Amino acid sequence: MKALGSSGWKGPVKFRMPTAENLVPIRLDIQSEGQRYKDAFTWNPSDPDNEVVVFAKRTVKDLKLPSAFITQIAQSIQSQLSDFRAFEGQDMYTGEKIIPIKLDLRVNHTLIKDQFLWDLNNFESDPEEFARTLCKDLGVEDPEVGPAVAFAIREQLYEIAIQSVASARESRLSKKGRRGSDHGSASKASGLSMDLVKLFSFKSSVVRKRKDLDVYEPVVDLLTSEEVDALEAREERHAR
Amino acid sequence: MAAKDPDSGGSGEILPITPSLSETTSGVTAASQATQPPSSSSDVDTVYVPSYSRWFTWTGIDDCEVRSLPEFFNSKSTSKNPKFYMYLRNSIIKQYRDDHPRKISFTDVRRTLVSDVVSIRRVFYFLEYWGLINHSSSSSAKPLKWDEKSAGDASSEPPTTAKETAKRICNGCKSICSVACFVCDKYELTLCARCYVRGNYRVGINSTEFKRVELSEESKKVWSEKETLQLMEAVMHYGDDWKKVATHVTGRTEKDCVSQFVKLPFGEQFVKESDSEDSLEAFDQIKGSADLESGGSDKEGSSPNKRLRLTPLADASNPIMAQAAFLSALAGTKVAEAAARAAVTALSDVDYEAEKNATGDPNRQDANANSGGEITNSERDWADAKSLIQKEEQEVEGAIKEIVEVEMRKVRDRIVHFEKLDLEMERSRKQLEDMKNLLFTDQLNIFFHTRKARKSEDRVDVKT
Repeated sequence: MKALGSSGWKGPVKFRMPTAENLVPIRLDIQSEGQRYKDAFTWNPSDPDNEVVVFAKRTVKDLKLPSAFITQIAQSIQSQLSDFRAFEGQDMYTGEKIIPIKLDLRVNHTLIKDQFLWDLNNFESDPEEFARTLCKDLGVEDPEVGPAVAFAIREQLYEIAIQSVASARESRLSKKGRRGSDHGSASKASGLSMDLVKLFSFKSSVVRKRKDLDVYEPVVDLLTSEEVDALEAREERHAR
Repeated sequence: MAAKDPDSGGSGEILPITPSLSETTSGVTAASQATQPPSSSSDVDTVYVPSYSRWFTWTGIDDCEVRSLPEFFNSKSTSKNPKFYMYLRNSIIKQYRDDHPRKISFTDVRRTLVSDVVSIRRVFYFLEYWGLINHSSSSSAKPLKWDEKSAGDASSEPPTTAKETAKRICNGCKSICSVACFVCDKYELTLCARCYVRGNYRVGINSTEFKRVELSEESKKVWSEKETLQLMEAVMHYGDDWKKVATHVTGRTEKDCVSQFVKLPFGEQFVKESDSEDSLEAFDQIKGSADLESGGSDKEGSSPNKRLRLTPLADASNPIMAQAAFLSALAGTKVAEAAARAAVTALSDVDYEAEKNATGDPNRQDANANSGGEITNSERDWADAKSLIQKEEQEVEGAIKEIVEVEMRKVRDRIVHFEKLDLEMERSRKQLEDMKNLLFTDQLNIFFHTRKARKSEDRVDVKT
């Protein structure tokens, strides 16, 4: 891990999740024999591969799914893991990126909407701890919300990490000889990131502008069963 | 006392979690609780924790946890630390106890904990293994109506059974005392030799207060009527399972039960009649013991009962061999031979299969199996395809040859035609040359003639 602190250009870093634990978000959506199994959780890619089958078997047993699901679940997890591992040897440029992370998820009866800034360069960041603290602070009673929040954050970080690998590769191909300042500009131009210098210069203040206040505030809604049913029906219609 | 692995720790009896949780050193309460039947079916609120998991506390981490789940304690990663482990463990146990007596599944747990799922799975398995969650307080065997009655009998007469079992079961390590035991009458304690030597008793007791009691000369030989009756009942219900028989017959080891049973006047008859039955059971049991052997040594020291099953025929050092020898003696030589042979072949099959499964993926295995069966088909198809390809090649070659020939002929005809033209040209040129020559000679002739004529003219002119 590189030492943080220098402003401007950072050297390329080997691809990994920009968090303390290098965990992969895994999403499952399997349909077979008239049953649909949707799930999302985080996986540690350094665990031995037999864990995948063990997990699949245990999940099928616990949820009483037909045993055809075991191989499908295992295959899906394996393919997502191998996608992740395919990225692992490559370089990524993280640059000076502070990105907004958005949460917009519904878990059972709880609806969470939130937006906050996340430092992509901080390789010690911990989405799990953030999720735990968020649920505790907001007084969320449903224990299934925490993992969903952590998963959503990880997914977005994963997407951005992949994009930075792709952009690093592009910039390397297009500008073979030139290095240095170009990368900084490339990352800044990516659009999502915010310019630290502009944000924290002495002309502007650190305090957020009033119009941004309610965008960055977490909102927790507790829905009734009818609302949940209505939302689910709408989602299914969208999916079709 | 360090926490022992559940498999090696004695009888693994159940202790209810109440404030009066007995320490190992308080002998009386332990003895009485040991013989209490697990009446948990009526008591839903009490959660039962097995005695080998007594080390568990909400706020502490025991050695066995560090041993079994080292990933949280080796500081290799910043977030997998003991605090995180305690969060996982305490959440899982709390979730289980909130919903007790319903069993909690791994998927329930992993959906509610913020962590990667494999760490959760390891902690979950660890807790299940140690009986801290999903521990069924009833014993594994389904109770028969007759068993319940006997359990009722046992509960109705705790004092006598306590006294009798106190003779046999050591209060310190809860194992059956063999050769000698030490009795302290003052506090009604019974310790086996090992515990006595180790000093495994309460603090206030002095070692001098123990009296050595030789078990070998105890009332082994004299079987009371009640004991005989129990023995007969047990054999009738459990048949050849001498372990269960011994537990039913209070105060007698298995060896005693068997020898007494054989000594009974009609015992011989029983043994002879049920020989065929015995042989099957012996086969099963030998196979079972052989499987145990192949399955690993984790069951070997599981209960001291095995150690006591000595027979005069067998070397007592290996408990499993002792059991096998005892059973074979029971069944007869021919039957035992047949059973052993069958067991060995079954074992080798099991080993072979285990090897096959161990060496390859099941997927690869299936592929191999499939391909082996179809190998002749595919070879044939391959040969057919090859011959077809060759035929086509030949056809193509022939066609190309024809085309080439035709082209060549065309070219040749054209050449011939041009040659003819050439010849014509030559002829006409020659003709032209000839005519030119003729013309030239004609011109010459004319010139000579005219010269001659002029000359003759000149002469004529001169003459006149």
